[in-house]
Amino acid sequence: MSAADAPVVSAQGAALAYAGAPVLDCLDFAAGPGTAVSVLGPNGGGKTTLFRALVGELSPVSGSVFAQGRPAYVAQTERTRLDFPVSALDVALMGSLASGRWWLPARRSERRSAEAALERVGLASEAGTRFGALSGGQRRRVLIARALVQDATVLLLDEPLAGVDPASAEQIERLFGELRSEGRTLLVSTHDIENARRYDLVLCLNRRQVAFGSPQDVLLPKILEETYGSEIVILQDGGGPVRAIAVGHHHH
Amino acid sequence: MNLIRITAVTAPPSPIELLELRPVVFALAELGLLAVAGGLLGAWIVLRRLAFFTHAAGTATFPGLVLAEAGAFSPRLAALVVALGFAGGVERAGRRGRDPGDVATALLLVAALAGGVVLASDVFESGAAVDRLLFGTAVGLDWGDLLLSGAACLLALGTTVGLGRAWTAAGFDPEGADSMGLPSSRADLLLLVTIAVAVVAALPAVGALLVSSIFVVPAAIARLFATSVTGLLRSAVLVAAAQGTLGLYLALWLDVPPGPAVSVLGAGAYAACALAKASGSRRRGPLPAARATA
Repeated sequence: MSAADAPVVSAQGAALAYAGAPVLDCLDFAAGPGTAVSVLGPNGGGKTTLFRALVGELSPVSGSVFAQGRPAYVAQTERTRLDFPVSALDVALMGSLASGRWWLPARRSERRSAEAALERVGLASEAGTRFGALSGGQRRRVLIARALVQDATVLLLDEPLAGVDPASAEQIERLFGELRSEGRTLLVSTHDIENARRYDLVLCLNRRQVAFGSPQDVLLPKILEETYGSEIVILQDGGGPVRAIAVGHHHH
Repeated sequence: MNLIRITAVTAPPSPIELLELRPVVFALAELGLLAVAGGLLGAWIVLRRLAFFTHAAGTATFPGLVLAEAGAFSPRLAALVVALGFAGGVERAGRRGRDPGDVATALLLVAALAGGVVLASDVFESGAAVDRLLFGTAVGLDWGDLLLSGAACLLALGTTVGLGRAWTAAGFDPEGADSMGLPSSRADLLLLVTIAVAVVAALPAVGALLVSSIFVVPAAIARLFATSVTGLLRSAVLVAAAQGTLGLYLALWLDVPPGPAVSVLGAGAYAACALAKASGSRRRGPLPAARATA
């Protein structure tokens, strides 16, 4: 493996726990630059816990996790304060805080970078709009713009397409393609099994790593049932591709 | 309110003549300094939902003040020790995942008030001094009070400039702020400590019970109309200055204590602004975004 292909995000025999209580075990995966990884699993399966470990908020109790640089984390918009008097540009500009200059006023270059990020997610015209007044899909795109300002090699996105309007979803998917072509690695948690087929790799979690590999190797009925248990409905298992729907999850 | 007594309430006193009185100038300077500290910190208090903490921090100092008065040691130091201890306890509870405005804070509030009253009335027989400790006396301050308020003012300015971006990011999206490597816990502790120090500085003017009138009410009024954090900070300071000045003038005119006058004025202004905003919203109808998603 050349240096250019060396993993930018990986886990080796890692186990994660909160206050001693095991949450996620047997993590063993690696993804190189420009790779998109779909992270599948039920609620409470450990997707967000994995992201917390990759940003350094949670140390593994055994093994190791690695991400090159400081990954940009895009949480679900429900975890943000919609009543805050901040505009879309203010939120995008928050990404510049990751540079470590948080005690100093924002520089012009950082402001320009935030404006460019908003333009990239198709929200340049909404820069001055209050974050809470935007639609759900627009808010999601603003948080992605904040991650773009961080200029991270690895982006961790927590259900970025859940409850998003079709126009925003299309814009986000197109942006993901651009980011991959720039050599950025994406880890995207989702419940959308059909959508996961479009990714380079799929990581299945259910309190442990159930499977990791290409979509055709991983998105099989047996593995999906092991990942979701009774929360999955297999729609078709004939000669064609397997179709499955994860049920019982929140759709925002 | 024994220094100035206006016998007739029929005509308002001349502001120019009032400014010739040294206690009035001191009171005005004190309220001006507290307007900056209270306005700036009030904006963060309102944004970070720390109004209950602020009120409790002020009230928690009450038994300390009674003890200091009876023991003849520095009331400022006693109040500072109690307020900082309270801030540390709340921060510790927050780190363990508990809401600072929880039942424990309410219990502490009640215990502090009850303990203070028992100490004041039954143990030390403080009598009339209790009123001053609870409601303050803006007319009757000394240089020490002004210096402490000046220090609180500088502290509020310095922390707002240095930590404002971190406080905004952490308040808006705590998980996002942590993932960016912001020292959110330390920044939050500094916010609580700064509030505690500023609350102690405000005690001589407005007393243990009415600190919210300086630190919460002006920012709550400004919050009704502010569209940005910077706008909120600026307008909260202006509202606090106007409320303090007008409240002091009304107190001198009507011969009532300044602390309650400032508080009642602020509460009335908040009610009027909230009503005006609500009626304006009704006339305008739902926002475009709300209509689009309806």
